[in-house]
Amino acid sequence: MAIRELKVCLLGDTGVGKSSIVCRFVQDHFDHNISPTIGASFLTKTVPCGNELHKFLIWDTAGQERFHSLAPMYYRGSAAAVIVYDITKLDSFQTLKKWVKELKEHGPEDIVVAIAGNKNDLGDIREVPMKEAKEFAESIAAIFIETSARNAVNVEELFQKISKQIPPLENPEVESNESFKITRQPTPSTRRCC
Amino acid sequence: MAAEDLPSEFDVVILGTGLAESVVAAAFSRVGQRVLHVDRRSYYAANWASFTFNGLLTWIQENQEGSHPEEAQDWSSLVEEGEELIRLSNSDSTSISNVQVFTYTSEEDEEEEEAPNTTEEETGGAEGDAVKEASETESADSKEEETEEKQEETAEGGGGGEEEQAPSTEGEEPEADQPAPSAAQSQSEPAKKKKISYTKLVKEGRRFNIDLVSKLMYSRGSLVDLLIKSNVSRYAEFKNVTRILTYRNGQVEQVPCSRADVFASRQLSVVEKRKLMRFLTSCVEETEEQRAYNGRPYLEFLRDQQLGDNLQHFLLHSIAMVTEDTPTEEGLASTRNFLRCLGRYGNTPFLFPVYGLGEIPQCFCRMCAVFGGIYCLRHSVTCLLVDKESNRCKAVIDSRGQRITCSHFVMEDSYVGVDRKKVDTPTRFLSRAVLITDSSVLPSDSDQQVSLVTVPPIAAGRPAVRMVELCSSSMTCMPGTYLVHLTCQSVGSAHEDLSPVVNSMFRTPESPDQETRPSVLWCLYFNMADSSGLEVQGHDLPSNVYVCSGPDAALGHDHAVKQAEFIFQKILPEEDFCPPAPNPEDIIYDGDNPSPTATEGEAEEGEGETKEEKEVQEQEEVQEEQSLHPEE
Repeated sequence: MAIRELKVCLLGDTGVGKSSIVCRFVQDHFDHNISPTIGASFLTKTVPCGNELHKFLIWDTAGQERFHSLAPMYYRGSAAAVIVYDITKLDSFQTLKKWVKELKEHGPEDIVVAIAGNKNDLGDIREVPMKEAKEFAESIAAIFIETSARNAVNVEELFQKISKQIPPLENPEVESNESFKITRQPTPSTRRCC
Repeated sequence: MAAEDLPSEFDVVILGTGLAESVVAAAFSRVGQRVLHVDRRSYYAANWASFTFNGLLTWIQENQEGSHPEEAQDWSSLVEEGEELIRLSNSDSTSISNVQVFTYTSEEDEEEEEAPNTTEEETGGAEGDAVKEASETESADSKEEETEEKQEETAEGGGGGEEEQAPSTEGEEPEADQPAPSAAQSQSEPAKKKKISYTKLVKEGRRFNIDLVSKLMYSRGSLVDLLIKSNVSRYAEFKNVTRILTYRNGQVEQVPCSRADVFASRQLSVVEKRKLMRFLTSCVEETEEQRAYNGRPYLEFLRDQQLGDNLQHFLLHSIAMVTEDTPTEEGLASTRNFLRCLGRYGNTPFLFPVYGLGEIPQCFCRMCAVFGGIYCLRHSVTCLLVDKESNRCKAVIDSRGQRITCSHFVMEDSYVGVDRKKVDTPTRFLSRAVLITDSSVLPSDSDQQVSLVTVPPIAAGRPAVRMVELCSSSMTCMPGTYLVHLTCQSVGSAHEDLSPVVNSMFRTPESPDQETRPSVLWCLYFNMADSSGLEVQGHDLPSNVYVCSGPDAALGHDHAVKQAEFIFQKILPEEDFCPPAPNPEDIIYDGDNPSPTATEGEAEEGEGETKEEKEVQEQEEVQEEQSLHPEE
């Protein structure tokens, strides 16, 4: 089965649970005092999709969003973006628009966008109605799902939905000067950049 | 947006996000130092940055207006007993000068190519024009292809869901108060090939990534080695420079540089091919004969090899890339370096990062952040607080008036006040030109070539010019265009130095008869200060303050990488410089404590394993790559 590497970048305000979602997806693990961005360039997980294997390379913001200093290189070549908000914090939903705009400015044009309302285990202190979020997602043709990284709710599903939306591989063009990675491995992977 | 306060204690505070500063940041953070990395600009990479077309227009405007230094605030209340306050320079007016923009394509789409509409804006006097241009940019930005007619009367900068192409700068809001001139656009697309209009360039502006500096990466140079060693290379992708070209007798020619090229070359006679191969093989090792020429010009050495004019030109200008009076030992060293870098990845010695060179500092910044470094753009350090007794910088005051303690302070040279800088030699400048053109200087089977073009001095006393032509698949320009960078050591202003080359190699309103040449749609000239002569220390600054210089004139990146390593080893002589970051697959979350130390051991093991293997692998690589190009 062909393995296809797909870069996914995470967006959203500090503290909404971006890292927890990845950690749940990749390690099936949840930690209250997580500081997982430390040392993780990106995390990977491979899932089957049709007759392909999708190897997600999941990039975390590494805290660079905290003072609004995400670098444009963060978005380069992403197949998908997950914008996360916290259903118990209205603020984090209101800044979604800002993140969508960022993505439009810096992200690839054909990027698959998913909006994840995290912490849905805390429904009793919910501030963001699901209906409103869903409507917003629909208005920008984004995937919508509410998740709980803590209780492992809908995290797998989020990435499955993304997998399904990834357009099939275009005919591999015969391009003489393809871009490539430089690594210490003998054969640099020749994934096309977008 | 309400910003939270920064922590008030760090090991290292770094001001400026240029290449050297970013490498320093990554190196410190990687070994567990607490790093705060700030830049007063709204974008990463300082004078190493790359911009979208619209971002570049904003940059041009800022540099034509000159900077508005903020008022110096009184922070004396933050000064403690026994401390002295040193103010840093808060304007960046000195590094960029002589900014000139020429738009040679028509403002809007036209049925037929007509007399190009030339607009010029010069530094200083043309502020009005610059503002006009910027507002045009604004207006074109917020329009969408199909709906633009309808949106004509709606206000600027509508909803957030609308596609807007603001200047590339991170998270910056486009100024909504700009007047919106109602430039009606005709969207008729005639089938015949026509010039891409200025409106189109603006509309497709985000497809451009235009570097302020133009360099290439030597495939075995210190930057590539560092990227691989540190695993920062994971964050970027690269392309081979596919051709080396040169400009000679009014023609652009391909320079044969690899064995395959030499044999495939049609310009060279059989005798020349043999001579060239023999020369290239012979100069790999130093010989007695070569030593005899030490101190004498390389040109003389080449002449005495009886190579003929063709080969002499290629070897001097395109392979050694030196001038006629460069000494032989230097010319040979440069030739060897070129040959050493051949074949690692491709047919030429050079790589170019996809999306432009501005990616590289950002990649190192990400590595720093991944290991806990804190990033803050649009944020500066205004003062240093120096302990009078020890002459050490104890703390800094940031642009919000917060006192932040640190053990070491690293900064970009432009923040050092002129009065404190010790400059031995007069400041040198680089002359730069950026062109957007409609075809390649040497069309070939593939329209996706990345070419280095060496242009020897067109007359005595004129500078040698280095040109890099990028195709759209390098993700630095829109399809149907080429991005051309010209660079030389300044003799005069950028326009004086480079426009003669532009007019002889391209079609512009000043050279309308060059019908077979690529047309220039838009071009920018500017000078950038080359501060690479500046020392890291030895200024009138505390002993734990280190200064990084901006981009230099060289083709490679050795200067910045060496400077970063020097600063790191000065401060932490015992520590490893940029050890490899662990592989994503190796990261183990160890129960409640996902500490990076758990993974470091593994990474080191990974490193240890490779020493020998790595070399073998590289050799395999070479062989593989050589066999990869059977067509040549």
